[in-house]
Amino acid sequence: MEFRDYYKVLGVERAASADQIKTAYRRLARKYHPDVSKEPNAEARFKEMQEAYEVLKDPEKRAAYNQLGADWKAGEQFRPPPDWGSGFEFSGGRPGGGSRGAGRAGRSRAGAAEDGAFQDQDFSDFFSSLFGGGTPFSRTGRAAGRDHHARVAIDLEEAYRGTTRTLELRRPEVKPDGSVELRTHTVRVTIPAGVTEGQLIRLAGQGEPPSGAGQAGDLYLEVHIQPHRLFQLEGRDVTLTFPVAPWEAALGASVTVPTLGGTVEMQIPAGAQSGQKLRLRGRGLAGQPAGDQYVQLKVVLPAANTPQAKALYEEMRSKLDFDPRANLSR
Amino acid sequence: MVRVTHRLEARVLGEGDWIAATEICQLCSLDLGAVMELAELGVVAPREIPPGEWQIPATALPRLRVVGRLIHDLGVNVSGAALALELLEAQRELERRIRSLERLVSDH
Repeated sequence: MEFRDYYKVLGVERAASADQIKTAYRRLARKYHPDVSKEPNAEARFKEMQEAYEVLKDPEKRAAYNQLGADWKAGEQFRPPPDWGSGFEFSGGRPGGGSRGAGRAGRSRAGAAEDGAFQDQDFSDFFSSLFGGGTPFSRTGRAAGRDHHARVAIDLEEAYRGTTRTLELRRPEVKPDGSVELRTHTVRVTIPAGVTEGQLIRLAGQGEPPSGAGQAGDLYLEVHIQPHRLFQLEGRDVTLTFPVAPWEAALGASVTVPTLGGTVEMQIPAGAQSGQKLRLRGRGLAGQPAGDQYVQLKVVLPAANTPQAKALYEEMRSKLDFDPRANLSR
Repeated sequence: MVRVTHRLEARVLGEGDWIAATEICQLCSLDLGAVMELAELGVVAPREIPPGEWQIPATALPRLRVVGRLIHDLGVNVSGAALALELLEAQRELERRIRSLERLVSDH
């Protein structure tokens, strides 16, 4: 695994105070938070920052991290020392527990629940090997496992038809000799048709394993539907921008329209205008009720690049009583 | 490293589902007071069934999870997070309309 330079990630000196670390994290979090940021790779960058802050805000973890030495460079191959975690006293009666509680109180996060913001399953192998489950720094004393959360990105067609996804889940497991191994197992998840952006999918019992006799936590997948080349999604409705010829808009026409479920025939009414929306009921994402597809007409003018085309435009100019700027002269 | 493949059936939390407020708190990393404050601010519309026990529609989960993340990660308070949520949603709606209009006027 590769060494991670947490000070570099947050852009602070090794001697930075707790306040300087907090300020640096807050400034970067505002810039890269996936819910508000438009920076490229904001989500990956934010996870790096969260991981770095999780270590550097905690005096015990920070001290242990510092003990690795200042000579490591980010990206260098790294293995935890064999005696990792020994020689530390942990506050609060259990490893890591006391400092974590104190940290939460000190941060004054109104509305934040005591449990749940930090989840190490998204963090790097480097973090997991040093501070994850099974290490002296992980939280213990919890009979039931916690819920885990992950994002799953699917195409719009997959949201329409339903799909399956193979997920690789990593869990730290303590081996008989006391060392920690990240164990990966794959699961195939059936995602039903009609899921929408941001919706949660629950996989019972696939979260954190219990440390005692309690139940395993659940795994929640948050669905993200990727932008589509043709269709725009809003809730369960989809909108398609549909080019039409001027005579199709003026005279009406029967046209073939792509939908998520295949092509359908649609009648364009005579006198249609560019920008006008026509509805195909029930052709959006499945649901109760199903979404609709909106077909937004876009009148496209043929180029006047042949003698025949020019003649037709000339004929319209001379024979049609049409002033597109009539409203401007009133 | 042992690899085991399981096939799992997913349970989508969606329309028609109501979730206990205590479970919502766990899912969204919020405390109950914050959820009730968000209800007062109009971010969610809970129901009280049976008396004394609050439920939240599952469709509110995506919004509440954003609020929970904003509170946790950026250190804002509940009303600040609710305001940020509304502004983010308004921004996304405007961006969606811009994209739609751009498609209408573009050459392709």
